[in-house]
Amino acid sequence: MRLFKVFKMALLGIWSNKFRVLLSIFGVVIGVFAVIALSAISLGVKDTVMKQMGGLGAEQIMVMPGRVLKDGGGAHNFLNGVSSLPSTLTNTDAEEIRKLESVESVTPMLETVGRIQYTKENEEPTSVEGMLVGTSGSYQGVFHTTLKEGRFFTEEEEANKDRVVVLGSGIHASLLNQKQELPEIDPAQQAEPEKTWWQKLLDRLTGSSVSAADAPAEEESLVGKEVTIQGETFTVIGVLESEATLGMTSDNSILMPVQNALEVTSTENLTSIYVKADSIENLDQAEKDVHAAVKLNHPETDFSTVKQTEMLDAIDTVTRILQVMLVGITATALVISGAGIMNVMVMSVRERTREIGIRKALGASTIEILFQFLFETILLCLAGGIIGLLLGYGFVTWWNGAITIFPLVLPMWVIQLALGSSILIGIVCGVYPAIKAAILQPSRALRFE
Amino acid sequence: MIRLSNIRRSYRSAAGRESVLEGLDFELDEGEYVAIMGASGTGKSTLMNILGTLERPNGGEYIFRDKKVHRMGNGKLTLLRNEEIGFVFQNYQLIPNLSVYQNVLLPLSYKRKWQSKKRARVKRALAMVGLEGKLKAKPHQLSGGQKQRVAIARAIVNEPSLLLADEPTGSLDEKTTESILEIFDELHEHGVTIILITHDPEVAKRAERILHLKGGRIKEQAYETLQSL
Repeated sequence: MRLFKVFKMALLGIWSNKFRVLLSIFGVVIGVFAVIALSAISLGVKDTVMKQMGGLGAEQIMVMPGRVLKDGGGAHNFLNGVSSLPSTLTNTDAEEIRKLESVESVTPMLETVGRIQYTKENEEPTSVEGMLVGTSGSYQGVFHTTLKEGRFFTEEEEANKDRVVVLGSGIHASLLNQKQELPEIDPAQQAEPEKTWWQKLLDRLTGSSVSAADAPAEEESLVGKEVTIQGETFTVIGVLESEATLGMTSDNSILMPVQNALEVTSTENLTSIYVKADSIENLDQAEKDVHAAVKLNHPETDFSTVKQTEMLDAIDTVTRILQVMLVGITATALVISGAGIMNVMVMSVRERTREIGIRKALGASTIEILFQFLFETILLCLAGGIIGLLLGYGFVTWWNGAITIFPLVLPMWVIQLALGSSILIGIVCGVYPAIKAAILQPSRALRFE
Repeated sequence: MIRLSNIRRSYRSAAGRESVLEGLDFELDEGEYVAIMGASGTGKSTLMNILGTLERPNGGEYIFRDKKVHRMGNGKLTLLRNEEIGFVFQNYQLIPNLSVYQNVLLPLSYKRKWQSKKRARVKRALAMVGLEGKLKAKPHQLSGGQKQRVAIARAIVNEPSLLLADEPTGSLDEKTTESILEIFDELHEHGVTIILITHDPEVAKRAERILHLKGGRIKEQAYETLQSL
């Protein structure tokens, strides 16, 4: 048996029935597109959340209001339940934690909505609402924020309660009445990674790039200028780099020393406290120490200390559930498209019964006929898979260029999965029509009307 | 070359088992040109299918060039068909999506042994039937006579030892019929063994020997008797 010849015959068979081919592969195109798009979305969400949370560092311990229930293993598990309580955490708690030997740094966080106003010379004042964040200089290290210009506040400024603020890029742009520049897809990927051959090829075909973010034009800056927050005057000392994040963006943040924030907002309580253990090995001890330190002022234990790993586990579980759900949806789409392909191929065998009879009369063996029809189905599915893949890639490219909520992630294994599953559908759904064609009796097939 | 002994073939029908061939005996020598005649439903096409190994008899012996065809498996039958037998059907049986060239090439494509100069062989076969200029044409672009010529070219491209033609002129006009029969004459002169199944006495007359199929058996018929039909 000459498989290559049979393969060529299958190609010819497909080429001869272009219209039917287009109709039959439609389902596979949609199915593979769904695999690519939904996988990219779920992986994008997971990647963004994990980076956001994981970026805090494995040594991090979060002190938060309310109680997070523990699972059977004794670890805090957000999925088991979180009791919601108003925060009673104070800066005194943060100071208590700071005294601990097992702690490297403490980042108090007060997050509330505040209004900021900037008056340009000879112009009406511009006022915008943002997330007022009272924190310390260690914020930068915890949240991996980078400065676009200026600087972050110093310990001295914190201690002196200097009226200084660092603005998120969105707030900064709004105060200047500028259109906010497009954020980078992933700040960690600012240095463009080496592209794979298929990305380069598709870039050449589409003339685009996955990380197509237009460079912002040079704009004026508020660094050094004065702004008003809750009636008090602050000096802008820095502007943060814009970042694409899911939920927790710093673009709309107004950062200031925590003491100033407590005063400006007339509150006493913090939203949370981020604590960094002095080493990963000492994490469990540090958590116990932190818990004991905070409990001094909270005998009723209206707070929780959660290790970073416990938060990541919870997020990982949620995203896994999301992924399983998406796999189910896409598998259903692919099975339906496979059924469509099988139907088309069964019809094709029926339509071409005489052709099969002729081929058999002229010397085609049962196996050759079987492989011809099997190859046809596989090629149909593969063609549908490639078109679906290109559409999916186009969707990811478009999304990453136009949508800033979170970037989509399209790893090579998703592409392999999409193409692999389309070939698998071809094999599974092609076997029955191929067998049906192969076992036809030539004399009967030739008489078929 | 061919010997059929006590060949039986019956089919299941609503009325029970219907016998078509009942102990048919038939012998054919190398290079002979034989016409088989018979009324509709007498089993002409069944006989051709058995001779062409397209279907198996229920019983009896079929010897082809000393090979016991009745004992061959499907693989060997396919090989025998491809290498030794050429088919010409009444309704041409060309594959509509393939060009003339591709249709004629088909038997060579399924050849087990490597074949050199396939294109030249296809062109030679088409030249023999006068269609060397129609390589790229599709069957629907051809007349009935041209289609049958393509079918003949396809049947002879493998240089078979036996050519089976089932009503090859059944759908053609008189003039075209004559041109097709001339091609058969020429093939016969080149030593090809031909079995022609027809219900047309004028067509049958071109053969060296005429056999009449009746009651599931073959009866040899004299030329003179035939002419009086």
